[in-house]
Amino acid sequence: MDVANDETLVEQACDDLSRRSLSRIDGDLGRLIYLASTRDYNTGRYHHDGLAARFGEEITCQALKTMHRQIFYQIAQNSLEQLVMEMERYASSSSQSREEILDVWQKLEPYRVALPVDVNVAVAQLFVSNVKLALAILRRRLELEAREAPRS
Amino acid sequence: MEFTSLIAGVVLLLLLLAAGAKGWLTSRQWDEVTPGGDDEGATEGCPEEFLSRIFLRGDWEFVRKLGAGGIERLFQQERKRVALIWVRQTSAMVKRVMRAHTQAARASANLEFSTEIRILGNFVTLMSVCGILATAIQLGGPLWLNGLAHFAHRLLQQLAKLQESMQAGVLARSESGGNT
Repeated sequence: MDVANDETLVEQACDDLSRRSLSRIDGDLGRLIYLASTRDYNTGRYHHDGLAARFGEEITCQALKTMHRQIFYQIAQNSLEQLVMEMERYASSSSQSREEILDVWQKLEPYRVALPVDVNVAVAQLFVSNVKLALAILRRRLELEAREAPRS
Repeated sequence: MEFTSLIAGVVLLLLLLAAGAKGWLTSRQWDEVTPGGDDEGATEGCPEEFLSRIFLRGDWEFVRKLGAGGIERLFQQERKRVALIWVRQTSAMVKRVMRAHTQAARASANLEFSTEIRILGNFVTLMSVCGILATAIQLGGPLWLNGLAHFAHRLLQQLAKLQESMQAGVLARSESGGNT
């Protein structure tokens, strides 16, 4: 097994993934959710048919795992204000209404499943905590908008 | 008069310990319901830039501008929890480094006294700082403790480096001993 060659292939697969799939998704939060959705709940392995056809299962799994970690650390480093903007961006790019998304996210907390495995525990908790706060802030904004609406 | 001061001192100490223990338990409960909550097995330390996110006031200023009491309370509660988790993780890492050091020291034939004293000093300081941080966070939240948290972070890095160089020395000596 040529480790250096594998690393190069993983890099190429990451690049391919960024250009073809991730660039089409609006915002890092959307990208994080997308990458988490390519992971099998039972095995923890990542799958992507298109990428696997070019690079093979193992390299694809490594590339998806690498990108998942990278995007996670990127978004976890955001300030709370930036995360609120990311959440808004994510909600407005979805076909569901903002209210619906907020309801589901606050009740089911799907963002917990979006955490990559083996990331630093404190960073993971900071991210979860900030998403919770961002949701509360957006909920308040919606309530304020609803109160303002009848007046205008 | 002296007796009253002593009693007051003991009561204060007990209150501080109770506050610290409460914080510790809160962070543990929180940790158990979140994936990847095993800091004993943590493979990597918390990067320094995230430390500033936890302990600096930037996010708090943003929340305060919103003027919503409920969100302010939620923020304080959440930051306290995250900060306590970081303290617990740091303390677990210190203990892990010391366990590794003890093992390496047992295998070493010629320990350097000055290095051992430095490692012990760092260990005692770090554990004390973690205790102070846990209590202070529980009492007043993490937003005034950025300096102390960064001090603990850097000291842990120093300790880990000292231990690594000591272990590398032990390995090199045992290998050269095996070769001769």
